[in-house]
Amino acid sequence: MIFSLVDIVSLNSRKFPGKDAFRFLSSALTHSELEEKSNKLAKHLKDKGVKRGFRVGIYMNRCLESAIAVYGILKAGGCYVPLDPAAPIERSRFVLEDCNIKHLVTTKNQSRKIKKLLATTTEVDCLIGCELEDMPWSFSWEDIFKLSLKDYRALQIMEQDLAYILYTSGSTGTPKGIMHTHYSALNYAKLVVDQYQFDTSDVLGSTAPLHFDMSTFGYFAAPLAGATCTLISDMHLKMPTSLVDFLKKSKITAWYSVPLILIQLLQTGLLKNEDFDTLKWVLFAGEVFPTKHLRSLMGIWKGKTFGNVYGPTEVNQCTFYNLRTAPKSDAPIPIGRVWKNTEYKILDENDKEVSEGQPGLLVIRSGTMMKGYWNNPELTKALLYQETIVPGANAVYYRTGDLVQLNTQGELLFLGRKDRQIKIRGFRIEIDEVENTLLRIADVAEVAVVVNQNNDEKVLMATVLPRDNRALDVGEIYLFCKLHLPPYAVPEQIEIWKEFPRTGTGKIDRKAIAHKLTFSKYER
Amino acid sequence: MNDKIIAYITDNLLYEQLDDPLTADENLLESGLIDSLGIMKLVVFIESEFEVAIPPEDMTIENFMTVNHIKEYLMLGK
Repeated sequence: MIFSLVDIVSLNSRKFPGKDAFRFLSSALTHSELEEKSNKLAKHLKDKGVKRGFRVGIYMNRCLESAIAVYGILKAGGCYVPLDPAAPIERSRFVLEDCNIKHLVTTKNQSRKIKKLLATTTEVDCLIGCELEDMPWSFSWEDIFKLSLKDYRALQIMEQDLAYILYTSGSTGTPKGIMHTHYSALNYAKLVVDQYQFDTSDVLGSTAPLHFDMSTFGYFAAPLAGATCTLISDMHLKMPTSLVDFLKKSKITAWYSVPLILIQLLQTGLLKNEDFDTLKWVLFAGEVFPTKHLRSLMGIWKGKTFGNVYGPTEVNQCTFYNLRTAPKSDAPIPIGRVWKNTEYKILDENDKEVSEGQPGLLVIRSGTMMKGYWNNPELTKALLYQETIVPGANAVYYRTGDLVQLNTQGELLFLGRKDRQIKIRGFRIEIDEVENTLLRIADVAEVAVVVNQNNDEKVLMATVLPRDNRALDVGEIYLFCKLHLPPYAVPEQIEIWKEFPRTGTGKIDRKAIAHKLTFSKYER
Repeated sequence: MNDKIIAYITDNLLYEQLDDPLTADENLLESGLIDSLGIMKLVVFIESEFEVAIPPEDMTIENFMTVNHIKEYLMLGK
């Protein structure tokens, strides 16, 4: 029986030892290799002081070592915390210190950034995957793989144990950590395998970086099905033409990505020349797929099932909407129905259920639900909705903050956000975080960050007012953003204005600003 | 040609300032230096700067992995 994520790997190593668990570029890792190598990492981590619940950082791009890192940390009883190697050093330092990461797992090609990161903090005292000079506490992957497992004893992992923390944009200006347990992660993996009927013959294409919740599809659901997970390289994602070629050769049966990657594949114009006969499922999530592009793609990839996947990181996934034929109109497609072991309500602002068909806020309760926010019980409490069904056994729902509505077929429609959270290329950004970052610049008095639509892409734009007419430099503001925000949250355009349009009550009129930015200068 | 491309990348596309200057044989696609939007901008820059048209089928890892690869690709095309 499988009770925790680590049970999956151990079971697979007995059932399908020689089968590929993970593939990356032209190399592969079998189930037995994954078991052995992750055991060696777990042994080393335990020897270096990792105990149950310890947070262990992962600082790498998708590669075979990322799978070893995930399962090695979990086997040691640790909770993995993925750090985005593309994020500014300052942001990575914040995460390291926010959840006290003493052990960091990486790869050799991150050495330049790792050196920079470690120069900013004394938190880390064990580095794995990159041996550095003058650091006797750094170890290469070769060091780990040389270890003997003779006296290694597996730790009993409990389903209630923390498995991972994902940091996401926080409106206060610093990122917040979402905690998931083996229980919630395994529930997610089971539901994926059940919903999409994956089995040992499947090859799942995984495009998401570890710090993005969509990655759990490849790292957890694929092994649970006994399937192979193909980790697609950053190089291929940046070069869609090469990705078309890779997709053709890799015999992927189920694809999962943000819509943008599929749109880029479509726009190469090369898909129609090729045969992708092994591909059965085309799943997408993270943001709305513009229906006209979806229709074009479905016109080329006939006979495949397309699936719209919805769910905030706090609950992994919670709804599905599958299509066999292309939608006729350009209306947005529904997010669909909740999957098994999941319940929802649509509430008004006073937490009363809305009447059927009326718009309201979606709350979700499911086995896939997070444990809470790291070190932030107030926020956890604020975002949970409790309902007493039986005294002492409350039903606990997560407040998604998403505005939804039921259509006449009983499917959920996504209408927007109640706050200022947006998605760009699938990444979740709190506009308040971007504004609060800009306000940290001493000579900035006021800011307004707005989102404009440029063809199919959302573009983040910022306008700032200088304090007391002081001189501001756009280049310097831009640099400040790059040092403090992840790349996808850095405004594409920054302008210094003398005054803002205001509403009658004196509030900044962001609509007017967005309009002015679109129609004054911004053309591509 | 290399210098122009390196200068454009350094001034416009990098996530952060580097301690050492970008070299012509550094992997632009893998290292987390530039994001996918940046690659698109680089293609637009190369098209206008060197007066070439880059068709989608040429936008491959082999042609854009490093500044040297880009140069080689442009030289062959001309």
